[in-house]
Amino acid sequence: MRALRLVFYHGPRLLLAGTFLYAGWIKAADPVGFARQVANYQLLPYAANYFVAAALPFVELLSGGLLLINRKVRPATLVLIGLNGIFMMALATVVFRGLEIDCGCFDPSGTSHTSAWEALLRDAGLMVLAVLVWIQRGRQTGTPGDFSRN
Amino acid sequence: MPSDFRRILLEAIIIFALGAILGLSANFRLVSNLLEGKTIAGPPVAAPGAESPEVYPNPVDLADFQELRQRGAVVVDARIVELYAEGHVPEARSLPLDEIDERLPAFRRVVPSTATILAYCSGYGCPDSFDLAVRLLKEGFQDVRVFEGGFPEWRDAGLPVAEGGP
Repeated sequence: MRALRLVFYHGPRLLLAGTFLYAGWIKAADPVGFARQVANYQLLPYAANYFVAAALPFVELLSGGLLLINRKVRPATLVLIGLNGIFMMALATVVFRGLEIDCGCFDPSGTSHTSAWEALLRDAGLMVLAVLVWIQRGRQTGTPGDFSRN
Repeated sequence: MPSDFRRILLEAIIIFALGAILGLSANFRLVSNLLEGKTIAGPPVAAPGAESPEVYPNPVDLADFQELRQRGAVVVDARIVELYAEGHVPEARSLPLDEIDERLPAFRRVVPSTATILAYCSGYGCPDSFDLAVRLLKEGFQDVRVFEGGFPEWRDAGLPVAEGGP
């Protein structure tokens, strides 16, 4: 049982936490660079790109941190599922519009290029991890109504 | 909606809001400069011993670009001369990023450091206008902004295009 729990709950939880802590950290360190990456998607008004770049990395850091310390896991996972869903929709529009841009998922300076397709696949993988964490955490809390630790 | 899920959803919204508030607070200078239409300052905490914090140009959209241009802002085209000759924003000065060192002295003679300068290149994904603007700010020009939509957005909006070399 312990091994199963390690594989299906703690493994995905820590992977998800590490991924979003890393992504949030490097984007928080270069908000202007990240804003330019967001602007490349051509989805938001100019100023909004900077507000997103200022706020989003800290949402990722906070959610990743909660997953790491194993507290408020389902709410934090829900935030990451929502964010990941938005990223995937944005990437899908990039593919649909035929834009040649770097996804800006991890490296705000854009020195390492990741295509929209690659980023979509990676986000799909993260979505699987998040759903796994959501389900497993729900099972751990026991009865359907027991969400005391979430 | 089950009440448990509603509670989790509420907590998720709180986490999102807290993260966003933290982020906007940590980037207070960037956000306030943006709201006041000033140039965007670099990271709020300069590295110890750093000479001065890096300063970044503010972006402008097409409407602002047109308005500032009509009010006398200096428009600079950061693309190579060949692309400039094929088509550029009327009255834009050619200032290719890779020729900045040679062209800067002449540029300085005709453009005062207090002028509003609008840099553009080949649109989204083209870094030259941003890099040129950063360089001009470092060279002492005080108000340099970037039109990130660049020449493609200008042309595709059906606005007049000038041709010919600088």
